[in-house]
Amino acid sequence: MADLLLELGTEELPARFVVPALDDLERTFKEQAAALGLTHGAIRRFGTPRRLALLVSGLIDKTPDVKEQKTGPGVKAAFEADGKPKQPAIKFAESVGLPVEKLERVTTPKGEYLAATVEVKGKRAIELLPDVLNACVRKINFAKSMRWGDVPQSFGRPLHSIVALLDGEVVPALFADVKSGRTTKGHRFLSPQPIELKSPKDYEAAMEKANVVADIEKRKSVMVEKIAALAKQAGGTVIEDPELVDQVVNLIELPCPVLGRFEERHLDLPPEVLVQEMKSHQRYFSLKGPNGKLLPAFVAVSNTPVKDEKLSVAGYERVLKARLSDGRFFFDEDRKSRLEARNERLQRRQWFEGLGSVADKVGRIVSLAQFLNGKPDATIERAAKLCKADLETGMVGEFPELQGVMGREYALHDGEPKEVALAIFEHYLPRGATDSLPTQDAGAFIGIADRLDSIVGLFSVGKKPTGAKDQFGLRRACLAVINLTLAKGYRFSLSKAIAEAGRSFKNVPAADVLEFFRGRLESLWREGNRPDAVEAVLAAGFDDLVAAQKRLYALSAEVQKPGFSDLAVAFKRVANIVEKQAKDVKKGAVDASLLRDDAEKALHSAVQKVRDEVFSAAKADDYARALSRVVTLKPAVDLFFDKVLVMDKDVAVKENRVRLLMEIGDLFNTVADFSKLQG
Amino acid sequence: MYFQELILTLQDHWAKLGCIIAQPYDLEVGAGTMAPATFLRALGPEPWNVAYVQPSRRPADGRFGENPNRLFQHHQFQVILKPAPKNTQELYLESIAKVGIKASEHDLRFVEDDWASPTLGAAGLGWEVWCDGQEITQFTYFQQCGGFECKPVSAELTYGLERLCTYLQGVDNVFDLEWVKGVKYREVFHANEVEMSTYAQRQADKDQLFALFESYAKECKRLIVECELPLPAYDFALKCSHTFNLLDARGAISVTEREGFIKKVRDNAKLCAEGYIKMREKLGFPLCKTKWTVGDQPALLEGKPASGMWWEPKKTEKGEEKKKEAARG
Repeated sequence: MADLLLELGTEELPARFVVPALDDLERTFKEQAAALGLTHGAIRRFGTPRRLALLVSGLIDKTPDVKEQKTGPGVKAAFEADGKPKQPAIKFAESVGLPVEKLERVTTPKGEYLAATVEVKGKRAIELLPDVLNACVRKINFAKSMRWGDVPQSFGRPLHSIVALLDGEVVPALFADVKSGRTTKGHRFLSPQPIELKSPKDYEAAMEKANVVADIEKRKSVMVEKIAALAKQAGGTVIEDPELVDQVVNLIELPCPVLGRFEERHLDLPPEVLVQEMKSHQRYFSLKGPNGKLLPAFVAVSNTPVKDEKLSVAGYERVLKARLSDGRFFFDEDRKSRLEARNERLQRRQWFEGLGSVADKVGRIVSLAQFLNGKPDATIERAAKLCKADLETGMVGEFPELQGVMGREYALHDGEPKEVALAIFEHYLPRGATDSLPTQDAGAFIGIADRLDSIVGLFSVGKKPTGAKDQFGLRRACLAVINLTLAKGYRFSLSKAIAEAGRSFKNVPAADVLEFFRGRLESLWREGNRPDAVEAVLAAGFDDLVAAQKRLYALSAEVQKPGFSDLAVAFKRVANIVEKQAKDVKKGAVDASLLRDDAEKALHSAVQKVRDEVFSAAKADDYARALSRVVTLKPAVDLFFDKVLVMDKDVAVKENRVRLLMEIGDLFNTVADFSKLQG
Repeated sequence: MYFQELILTLQDHWAKLGCIIAQPYDLEVGAGTMAPATFLRALGPEPWNVAYVQPSRRPADGRFGENPNRLFQHHQFQVILKPAPKNTQELYLESIAKVGIKASEHDLRFVEDDWASPTLGAAGLGWEVWCDGQEITQFTYFQQCGGFECKPVSAELTYGLERLCTYLQGVDNVFDLEWVKGVKYREVFHANEVEMSTYAQRQADKDQLFALFESYAKECKRLIVECELPLPAYDFALKCSHTFNLLDARGAISVTEREGFIKKVRDNAKLCAEGYIKMREKLGFPLCKTKWTVGDQPALLEGKPASGMWWEPKKTEKGEEKKKEAARG
């Protein structure tokens, strides 16, 4: 058993590269090791902007010997008629080092073949590892990679060192212009001298000594703790931002947070502006006081404990001061003209080639949002009209993340009604999987209209997402439309809404758009529901998304009950016959006078009994009750199939029976298409 | 440190390391990258190590001398190291230590910032260098130039002199910089800012500029296609680029037209790049005969330069070589 260390020393990698690269490294190592039979124990990962490392413990020294059966030539070709071995048999025997008599025979679908069991000797780990490690390095898939020097290989940033140690021994490996060894470096400024590693186990401690906290989680917890302490010192707490934490932790090797301040007068800027100024350009953490309001202070995380903290903090403060002055400048300038006046300029802003300007889009949103609402509404109209005006402000030009926020602030400043201002902000919600939803309908309808317009518009110019590619975020937009509609319980016809959205475009592939929604619904609902139940509900229609979800919940509850699979079998049979006969037999009322057998009469009366109840329950969205009524038909259905032959010689009798089954089909189709259910 | 001292210190640093100190290119350019000493020299296999100040004109950034840190014209200190030494970062850090930014006193960081210039068909990966949260230098490893892969890769360092110097002098306004003792940036350049901004954003004759753009573009193409003169052709490509910037600052180019103009400049820049490589090849890539490098170059691997270790993609020979490469990693 031995330990293995692979460390790749690089110039500063982008923060966002570090974790995915470690994922790749670890995955490749595990795959390669498994394929070669190199069993191992736990793997630890280390990563900073300047190093990516794996520490594998308990790696076996040598892979075990294994017995392997090798197949040779076909028996027919290998021997003469008299059983004398021919050339192929002799050659094969030689190749496996056995006399011909010792060869085995195996029967395969293609015939009988010669075979031999040979022992394959295990290999020493040190012999196998060079290829394994090469693959590990080569298979890191950076979001962007670059070449350096004049070698053809590329990497996230120039590679400087490869440490590859199996216990005390260097594993030879080569990538681009770097050969493996045991030398690495510590912190760029605090420990610039080369470090000779004796053994993999020493790695973490050696790094620590060289002022590098190599373990990401450890570095993160040290950093977060120190930031919290400084926040406390400033009389507040940090505004939680896990995204910023994950980014900053991989911008540094040694967390040295410092506390800085800014002028209090800037606190009258919208808090989102201040937070964004600090975060997006500077990667500073914002602080809030006990009352939840922003403090005029920040924490910046330095990579170096500097000699005189005041000097470097002054630097941080100066940069922020300039940024905030810029922000204030934009805020003041932007408020000099009304939001409404900016709408004009949206005419010159192309939304998408062939789909008009942003002003055109706004016009479409105004009418579609009203359509979705079902009646004209002053707040929706006004807010929709202004919803993109802030794109023309200096502040949003500088910080695109503030779209919506600035719209709200400037609308309030202009004296627009509060609800209008709120709707402008909320129409962008939810901005991600964990973001909150609009609190009022105006923002929600405008948001649905905006996204639906994007989906239908882009589909009409052939930009629908393909494969893993979703350049325009249409999957996310579609999911947001679904989530908003479901969460708010909005009832509208999806197909009509798509048709309405499509009125402004040419060549709208409405069926494709519906199929796109179907796909999103399917993936959304498959979490926590049986796939066949999802399929059955979707197959019976999803034009009313809210109803479709209720139907799904009812069906999902039903399919979990014992005895459901018998039930499904019976109803599937109904569904299958209906499907087969649908082209020959017209729908219509069942003619009671044509019913002959007791079983069919009984089924007919059973259907009559539940029919109205099922439809009225479905109409009242009570799909559980509708389903529970349909289910009572099971004994009658079973008896019917037992006693009655649907395909009677008398066409009129046959068609009548099919119609009876069609009635049953209509009943369960209020919930789902049972033919899609697995037994 | 005075503005002038800053320039002299940087020049001295790079000169001692073996760089040529070139003089600013005498045409209007938007950045040091556009000067032939960078754009053309980054092409092809020849070594090239140079440092120069480049006055850089950005007509749209002109603020009539009223904004404390936006200028119509600023100065870049441009360094090209080709092939990029292994210790480029360290050589850079030494340079800023010499101007007074010591690693022990400041938080110095290399923060991801990739660079691409659509008008030059050029792109690279690298960082902006932060000093206590302030960007002081742009650091790029060229990957592509004029649409051609850069091999060997050049390192480009671009110090924004005004920004770096305001940091060093601790002033908030660029016009308060001391150029030499007793002379402020304001006295040297304020009038220039006012007049140039006024010209670019208010007075420039659009029709004349449109006509100039067309005639520069035509001349560039003629020089390269008919006369095989890539160097003067590139001058006309630069004139095109600057004329486009002026038109843009004047608000004379609509969103839909923009792409077309950029494409025209880029196509010409590509023609120049192609012509330049051909011309150098004809001359036998004379600089390849020198052993002109700066800093630490990659160690020999098994007695050969690293580049010789690796199979190079050639269209004619496939199978064998590919396998060899795969085996090596």
